[in-house]
Amino acid sequence: MIEVLIDLIRYFLSILKSNQLDIPLIKPIIALIMKIVAQIPIPYLSNLVDFILAVILWRPLFAVVVMPGLTVLMIYLLYIVWFERKLTARIQWRVGPLEVYRPLRGAIQALADGIRYLFQEAIVHKDAHRPYFVQLPILAFIPVLLPIAFIPAGNVVGIKSPYAVQLTIAFISLIPITVIAIGWASNSRFAFIGSVREALMYVAYEIPFIVAAISMIFLYKSGDPYIIVENQWIPGAILNPLAFLVFLIAMLMATSRLPFEIPEADQEIAFGPFVEYSGILFGLVMVLAYEKLYVMALLFTILFLGGWNGIYISLLGDLNAPIWLTIKTIVVISIIAMVRSMYARYRIDQAIRIGFSWLLAFSMVALAIGVVIGYEGGI
Amino acid sequence: MKEIAIDVPVEPPKELESLFLPIPKEYVEEVYRNDEFLILVGPQHPGSGHMRLIVRVKGDVIQEVIPDPGYVHRAIEKIAETRLYVQNIPLVERPAIMDSANLNLGYVRAIEDGMDLEVPERAKYLRTILAELCRIGTHLYDAAILSVFLGHTTGFMYPFGIRELICESLVKMTGARFTSSFIIPGGVRRDVSKEILDWIYSATFAIEKRLRSFERLFIKNPTVVARLKDVGVLSKKEAIEFGVVGPFLRASGVEYDVRKVEPYEAYDKVDWDIVVADDGDSYSRFLVRVNEVAQSLKIIRQCIAEIPGGKVISDQICEGNDIRGEFFEKLAGIVLPAGEFTTLTEAARGSVIYTIVSDGESNVPYRLRVVTPGWLYLRGFMESLKGERLADLQAIYGSFGYFPPEADR
Repeated sequence: MIEVLIDLIRYFLSILKSNQLDIPLIKPIIALIMKIVAQIPIPYLSNLVDFILAVILWRPLFAVVVMPGLTVLMIYLLYIVWFERKLTARIQWRVGPLEVYRPLRGAIQALADGIRYLFQEAIVHKDAHRPYFVQLPILAFIPVLLPIAFIPAGNVVGIKSPYAVQLTIAFISLIPITVIAIGWASNSRFAFIGSVREALMYVAYEIPFIVAAISMIFLYKSGDPYIIVENQWIPGAILNPLAFLVFLIAMLMATSRLPFEIPEADQEIAFGPFVEYSGILFGLVMVLAYEKLYVMALLFTILFLGGWNGIYISLLGDLNAPIWLTIKTIVVISIIAMVRSMYARYRIDQAIRIGFSWLLAFSMVALAIGVVIGYEGGI
Repeated sequence: MKEIAIDVPVEPPKELESLFLPIPKEYVEEVYRNDEFLILVGPQHPGSGHMRLIVRVKGDVIQEVIPDPGYVHRAIEKIAETRLYVQNIPLVERPAIMDSANLNLGYVRAIEDGMDLEVPERAKYLRTILAELCRIGTHLYDAAILSVFLGHTTGFMYPFGIRELICESLVKMTGARFTSSFIIPGGVRRDVSKEILDWIYSATFAIEKRLRSFERLFIKNPTVVARLKDVGVLSKKEAIEFGVVGPFLRASGVEYDVRKVEPYEAYDKVDWDIVVADDGDSYSRFLVRVNEVAQSLKIIRQCIAEIPGGKVISDQICEGNDIRGEFFEKLAGIVLPAGEFTTLTEAARGSVIYTIVSDGESNVPYRLRVVTPGWLYLRGFMESLKGERLADLQAIYGSFGYFPPEADR
């Protein structure tokens, strides 16, 4: 019986070992760990450590769980909340978060907030549709997190697909439905108005956003991120600046950043669809927009900023691509965070007019540019 | 456009009955029968002050707004009947603490009117400086509230940062950031030294410099212009009909300013212009006040440059130049002759009316009537909301700078 089990583990190990990350930097460290473990007189310990290391360094898992997946996402959430508040504070002649761990200038403020949300009572009010009200913040994570499995970073990829860009767009398009459902389940007047606004914003940005992405697919003649990144010896932002612009504005609209922070306008409708949430449920719905921004920025980097292209450091080996992708993504998001302190909020009809007039027109021109450049077999 | 309606029976929510709203039950039922919607904005809402607005919307368009003010009513008129004339000075400036000097001035002038007091020239200039400092402070405060209503948090922080200079000036002059009760019957509490006046003079330039960065960031911001332009329009005729006052009346094209029409203090001795706009929309209401800040700075500079020497308290009240130490002795016993004394003062948000009715024998007012600008333009504010979108409610609210504690008194 035990032999069968060991055979099974060996079989798994051979699968894992066949697709390991190749990082010259950590090879001596792994060797050192294995040497130390070998000296400890516990049976099967070295095998166990070997197995754990193999699991962590297995490419698909590394892509999804570590980089550019969930671990980086968590660090990014901590960073972006702090950075946004600190930057806004600097522009506004203030100091910003500081007291939660002074040596880091309040950098773990978001963590403290998260802990507070966790221990706060999550109130489900009487009129809410209880099952949906509690489920939906968690269900909303499915379309937000699934694209991470498809977005590759060099050799590090969860699920390899030639349609990764299209799939990511499809998942992003699903997110507003969960937000609308959240507003519906809340069964409150402000939440209802917020959901309607979310639906209208969805109508406003979705077409230009998809057309801009399609124009880039035409331009590179593929939806495969590998081909897209390989073709970008000139970044896509220069090849098709209009698509770049449309995608950027659609990103602001989709994640309800400030000129288009219409569904959640807290002075008008008191946080819109999320008005009734409290405790950890509020914590979950609050980070939803940030995570959506992360996924969209990953796609943005791949389509327009050359993806994981960058200076190759041989010491890092396979880790080069994820690091470059993450750095570029976080720089993009940090720049977007600046917009918040510069603009006031548009009205819903103005936002829809922007979406349907020149944003749509620009996206159509971008599509034409994409088709022309792509047709000549050009780049 | 053809309207598509689905006949779904909708019952008015229960809370509309239990909240003691100032609307009859039939009104609520009629609204819900007409496929409309009642939204209660406030008093616990990030986009309202201490008041409730009952907003009747059809789709996204506001049909009617019924105000439910009175949440911060403090019975100032009633309390004033039980206190000495001088004890009322700190009381009457409470409705709008950022505009304390103007509210204070109106009351004190009513007393002076009754007692026939001559105010020395230097005191008049000091009062003008105080009133204009408070006017700038109030306009900055309202600009900040307008910005945060539009979601522009930087526009919220800048005016409050600039307003610190105003508060600092008031501290140097009077000893308090606001509600200083510095203006008393017959003059001001004490003289202000030349160094302090010079400090305020240079502070006006610092304010002007900071206002330029605020202008770049907020006033000329395209999103702000898009939100405020052509929103909540009050025509000249409507503005007069609804009794709108102050900068909001001037924004509709009416050239009326109490400081020019019936000049008091030093306003007829300095050179300044009435700021008028023609559009009557939210943006011009905002711009009028922005330009009034510039005029106020101009007035302050002229006052400081031309301030005469001499006493700061009337001879009829006090022989020396300093009332400190004998304040109660000199002023507690004042009794106004029988009659009714009314003054009109231009506070930051508009005309403020004080009427003191005296019976001629008691040392407390028989009746004190205070009509603050907020109460006067509430009607115009409600009318300008009709036909706008729900999101414009906050933009128009901010453009009027409606301040419930001031209106409710």
